[in-house]
Amino acid sequence: MKPKSISAATRPRVGKWLVTGPPLAYLLLFFAIPSLIMVLASFRTPGEFGGLAPLFEEGRLDLNLDSYVRFFSESIYAQIFAKSVWYALATTLFCLALAYPLAALIAKSGRRYRDLLLLLVILPFWSNFLIRVYAWMIIFGPNAALARTVNGVLAWFGHEPVPLLFSSFAVLVCLVYVHLPFMVLPLYANLEKHDQALLDAAQDLGANAWQRFWRITFPLSLPGVYAGAALVFIPALGIFAIPDILGGPEDSLIGNVIKQQFLETRDWPFGSVLSIVLTIAALFLAGLAACVARGNLGTPSSVKAARA
Amino acid sequence: MKKLLPLLASLLLAMPALAKDEFHLYNWNNYIAPETIKRFEDSCKCEVVQTYYSDNEELLAKLAAGAKGYDMLVPTSNAVEALIKGKQLKAIDKSQLPNLKNIDPRYLDTPFDPGNKYSVPYAMSTTIIGYNEQKMKELGLPTDTWAVIFDPKYLQKVKGRVTVLDSSSELFAAALKYLGYSANDVDEKHWKEAADAIKKGKPYWAAFNASSYIKELTVGNIWLVHGYSNDIFQANLDAQAAKRSFRILQGMPKEGAVLAVDNMVIHKDAPRPDLAHKFMNFMLEGKNSAELTNLIGSGNPNLDAVKYIKPEILKNPAIFPDKAVAAKLEQLKELTAAQRRLRNRMWTEIKAGR
Repeated sequence: MKPKSISAATRPRVGKWLVTGPPLAYLLLFFAIPSLIMVLASFRTPGEFGGLAPLFEEGRLDLNLDSYVRFFSESIYAQIFAKSVWYALATTLFCLALAYPLAALIAKSGRRYRDLLLLLVILPFWSNFLIRVYAWMIIFGPNAALARTVNGVLAWFGHEPVPLLFSSFAVLVCLVYVHLPFMVLPLYANLEKHDQALLDAAQDLGANAWQRFWRITFPLSLPGVYAGAALVFIPALGIFAIPDILGGPEDSLIGNVIKQQFLETRDWPFGSVLSIVLTIAALFLAGLAACVARGNLGTPSSVKAARA
Repeated sequence: MKKLLPLLASLLLAMPALAKDEFHLYNWNNYIAPETIKRFEDSCKCEVVQTYYSDNEELLAKLAAGAKGYDMLVPTSNAVEALIKGKQLKAIDKSQLPNLKNIDPRYLDTPFDPGNKYSVPYAMSTTIIGYNEQKMKELGLPTDTWAVIFDPKYLQKVKGRVTVLDSSSELFAAALKYLGYSANDVDEKHWKEAADAIKKGKPYWAAFNASSYIKELTVGNIWLVHGYSNDIFQANLDAQAAKRSFRILQGMPKEGAVLAVDNMVIHKDAPRPDLAHKFMNFMLEGKNSAELTNLIGSGNPNLDAVKYIKPEILKNPAIFPDKAVAAKLEQLKELTAAQRRLRNRMWTEIKAGR
């Protein structure tokens, strides 16, 4: 009996390590180690011709807080962070507003159309991200139909024509466009599992359409909302390509400033500080979303009531 | 493992012998004529493998991060200086470069690489004004001064139709020139004045743009740019090919401008320095060098190339400036780390402020 019980206990453990080991090693290799390198770099001095100054100079370890002091002593970087958070937040909210009805529609449609609709949602991924962003340049161009229509309407109200390309508007529209599928998919995955019986029961008990949505569907979909929000918010926070390509002179976000540190300025330590702050902000927000989601994942009172 | 190591090593050593001779050129995009490559491949019995970068910073960042396998790079002078000081380059054996005599001595032995120990000039460009001829005529704007890029008096007529380069070094250089200083001025007071000039112009600019302004000029969305002479030349070629009703012209500011001399250098870890020397000598031949100028309108430091260059390009004062203009052109010098930090702080303020 004894050896058998041991092997029964070890085998699943070995299996577990075999399954979880590779992804764990992958994360360790490509997330943890680079992050640690970045943390170390943030305390070092930029090299005179790029890269980093030697770690040991004249027998003494060259580590300092200069880059952190710079970050915290100048309000401009906090302002840029605030602006980036604002853009990412707006992107998340617009994505949610657009994705929710779409995800609900897909979840409710018959099997035959469901796969087709899902395919259409992920279809844009088949062409390169940058090509899609460049396509927006053409759509927003001053001689394109969109700008002509918008400015035609504005002229009617006696307003001066506005440029669409190279504007905050263009950046926001493209951010929403690029991230929309990341909101639709988790929402769909969640909504698709909802039990129709709950809604039927609520209807029997006299709940109208709005009450059924607000007190049953929406609370139950919150995990999907949080997952989608994290998938949209975090990449939108660090993006630099879209403001670079579509943005006007005002639209420099934190991603652009970080890129500048590594390319133009060749100031790795300061770029690392900015990246660390960005990573911490993203981790904090993801953690927050996870906490809120877990809190809600238990049964909200309304659902408990509905089930009772 | 111990037994495997020598086997692996011998395999690695055998690799180049097995593969076809390859010459790895890390170059700017569209910076060599296809027929030139073909002819070099025929003469060296090797294959030219090109990879591209879009600015010196990209090249420096990649090499600083430890990229290897390139035989030859074509960086601008200030980046050459950074690469030399960063000990990234291999010294050139000039006995293998008989064609070096073709280079105009004005472009040899510069402060960036005294005695040309590591680099030889390849081609040149200037950072100037590009404009839509028709629009600028209609609006009566000058095209021979930086004032048209920085002075609100002119800019108000072209609000939203102007782009400037998304490069702090180039834009500060233009602003410093506009204010009458050297492009390489490092006085913090003068930098502040330049930053103020940039901030005054910024509300009128459509974008800081280094990637798509060629296209925007070509289709007529943008009428006035601070840009590279080669790009503006390309924009005009494209506009003519698309049969647009306007021409895109180059304007050389009377205050002077930035001259960028790109140089051939050999990477310290070049797998084939022999091919790199062959390529250098080949590109120093007038005919091969002229093909690039005819293709993209680049400036040419090769005296032997002149007879092969199209006459309309030779007449273009933005590509072949006369002595008076040439005297006002400046090559950008490398900034120190502290200066780069200061410059970046100003640049962030310029870009984030309103």
